[in-house]
Amino acid sequence: MKNRLRVLRAERNWSQADLAQRLEVSRQSVNAIETGKFDPSLPLAFKLARLFGATIEQIFSDESQG
Amino acid sequence: MICTPNNPAQRRFFYRFAVAMLLYAAALVVSILGFVHYRPTGVLAYLLAVLPALPILVMLAVIGVYLAEETDEFVRNLQIQALLGGIGGTLAVVSVWGFLEDLAHVRRLDLLLVYPLFWVFVGISTVVVRLRYR
Repeated sequence: MKNRLRVLRAERNWSQADLAQRLEVSRQSVNAIETGKFDPSLPLAFKLARLFGATIEQIFSDESQG
Repeated sequence: MICTPNNPAQRRFFYRFAVAMLLYAAALVVSILGFVHYRPTGVLAYLLAVLPALPILVMLAVIGVYLAEETDEFVRNLQIQALLGGIGGTLAVVSVWGFLEDLAHVRRLDLLLVYPLFWVFVGISTVVVRLRYR
């Protein structure tokens, strides 16, 4: 799944470790989600959305949907 | 599985697993010394023989508790994949070996080796899984 995490993070000048700390997950988790290797659960996606003040759709996009 | 504990759930896992391993070592010594010195028979022999296996069951339960307590879903996913690799690898080896024993009469596999074998495959799977997500 594509996402805008790297951009959103950069806008706030947060490192992966900073974001991981705010989400209460490991830095590896943030990296895996950011690189599209791991799709977060709905609760974690909502947590990300709340953190960035955006909707889940504004952060994640389904690659299968043109 | 986990190499270095990074969160409270992993620290609890390490502590519980270490306690279970110490219990295993103690139970093994008690069991062996019991058989050497007292040569028990009947129910007592069964109980003494099965004693070292009980901490192993505790270790397996500790893994289950850890998976339930791990709050980092990505890390939990990695651990589950590594454990599945361990289970799959072990089942593959004992299945193949079972037929080799029955039909080709190779040396009998000591069942006590199955549990360490499981951890060998968990170790291999951990490396493979980590490389996949690097």
